[in-house]
Amino acid sequence: MPETVFAPWNDPAEKPLIQFRNVTKRFGSFTAIDDLSIDIFEKEFFALLGPSGCGKTTMMRMLAGFETPTSGTIMLDGQDISPIPPNKRSVNMMFQSYALFPHLTVYDNIAFGLKRDKLPKDQIDARVKEMLRLVQIEKFGQRKPEQISGGQRQRVALARSLAKAPKLLLLDEPLSALDKKLRQDTQFELMDIQEKTGTTFVVVTHDQEEAMTVASRVAVMDHGRLKQVDTPDRIYEAPNSTYVADFIGDVNIIAGHATTQGETVSIAWADGQPPIIGTPSKPMDDGKVSFAIRPEKVAISAEKPTDRNNMVQGKVLDIAYLGNLSTYHVQLPSGIVIKAQTANSRRRASRPFTWEDEVWLSWTDTAGIVLES
Amino acid sequence: MRRLTWFNATSLTLGFAFLYIPMIVVIIYSFNESRLVTVWGGFSIKWYGELLQNEAFLDAAWVTFKVGFFSSIIATILGTMGAYVLVRGGRFYGRTLFSGMIYAPLVMPEVITGLSLLLLFISIGLDRGLFTIVLAHATFSMCYVSVVVSSRLVSFDRSVEEAALDLGCTPFEAFRLVTLPIIAPAVISGWLLALTLSLDDLVIASFVAGPSATTLPIKVFSSIRLGVSPEINALSTILIGLVTIGTIAASLTTKRAVMRRRREEQMAEQAG
Repeated sequence: MPETVFAPWNDPAEKPLIQFRNVTKRFGSFTAIDDLSIDIFEKEFFALLGPSGCGKTTMMRMLAGFETPTSGTIMLDGQDISPIPPNKRSVNMMFQSYALFPHLTVYDNIAFGLKRDKLPKDQIDARVKEMLRLVQIEKFGQRKPEQISGGQRQRVALARSLAKAPKLLLLDEPLSALDKKLRQDTQFELMDIQEKTGTTFVVVTHDQEEAMTVASRVAVMDHGRLKQVDTPDRIYEAPNSTYVADFIGDVNIIAGHATTQGETVSIAWADGQPPIIGTPSKPMDDGKVSFAIRPEKVAISAEKPTDRNNMVQGKVLDIAYLGNLSTYHVQLPSGIVIKAQTANSRRRASRPFTWEDEVWLSWTDTAGIVLES
Repeated sequence: MRRLTWFNATSLTLGFAFLYIPMIVVIIYSFNESRLVTVWGGFSIKWYGELLQNEAFLDAAWVTFKVGFFSSIIATILGTMGAYVLVRGGRFYGRTLFSGMIYAPLVMPEVITGLSLLLLFISIGLDRGLFTIVLAHATFSMCYVSVVVSSRLVSFDRSVEEAALDLGCTPFEAFRLVTLPIIAPAVISGWLLALTLSLDDLVIASFVAGPSATTLPIKVFSSIRLGVSPEINALSTILIGLVTIGTIAASLTTKRAVMRRRREEQMAEQAG
């Protein structure tokens, strides 16, 4: 079997399923979406990620048809969907509150959309049963939404929105009402169902872990604009701005002044400290930069390391023990605190460092990201 | 549990005595043999018999029932529609004014409502009778329906309606298939309220009623002016009986609904 990576966004011949073209949405004087353009492809699991109020929900509601753009066009399958009302769109939505119909049974909730299409009875029945099987709630067909648990309601909502086999499924914070353990299990199920049905999923979430786990691509949004659209690993390892670096995961950000030295740059950042050697992703001019480095890429040791260009000495200020990991907050003589993370791979190992210990932090030339600021 | 102190016991007795002694007096005297209302002449149910022979009272009762039935239905439809538009209609120009105006008739003295309706009916040349009473009652009771239904709509999860649209409903279908079944309890209690208001009303009805149609409250009030007859006591007792049965039935229904909900919650917990 030939190994093909699913990456339609890199293929110029691929036609996008959804196109936002210079879409702006204003509510009075508030701009929710600011001149936004994006392509989303068929069979993608696309995540819109951002803090509340960043415009991600507005984007989703425009796709569903509950809001119309103030300017710009949204195309679905090459067709401008602005004039099409929500009930005529081949787009279905799973609501954050699930929005199940409380007066109907689980079965009738799932059959609701199919009945609107005036399908023959036996076809509806077959489809509903298929959906109940897909989300593993066959037993609860005759119950009312009040008579099932939160996790089961989430499944009913998913089944109901998938029943009409939409071209595009929108999921608004689909797992936010579930507790952590159930959420993690359901994430994988969601990916599984997406793969089985081949439906394009667009999920809105403020939970970065969820977005990273489920999505083929993640769009990080802020104030109605896209900050970065990329695969989860690129978003994490190669953020294009301090905003994205800071929003996803934990990061140390150090401001400094860069001087180019061939492939690398030398960043002067604090008095009395040797410059940081970093590798920018693209050639850059000298000037002010931010150096971002993830805590797990900073090594901590008692002895001065010999094999690395970047090293600083400091005192352990705080230790956050998370079970699988420990994060050390190390204060440098200049007052700057740098976080370093180590995996607790051995059980019962005595903690190598404690508060007030003098330690060395070090990292390689390519461990951090040099961002123009 | 705290014990009933003498103070609480006294207030309880006084309060209930205040409320119910007048009614008990009416009920007792409805079984009075004597024609004189205030003199006890022995037990008898003859006034009930006479009441059932009294064509005028029976006609008035029938008119009251018809007025209540039709006016409460009109009021429920109009009131529900009004509430829906005011809560869901988005921000149209003058919306605040309209929602304020819905409440105005609730505090308007009935005399004024009755008088203005009377003037309106005269000026458009509408003959006073059953029809005008129905219109008048629908007019003032629809505000009550509107208030009851809109308070339910405000607490209604909007996304349920959006889900219906999303799944292929036209806006009207979404209302009929999803919104209406969910707000049905509020619509029904609004309807009951409108019905009660219509059955009770004396002031407005006496303005807009014509010689062809007299409601029971008007009939009772006018016959009392000629002296209280034991028949009125019998009628009052029957009405008290009907109201008691209605109230008990309503509270039993509510209690059953609460019990059912509790059972369902238990089922959900077990399912979880």
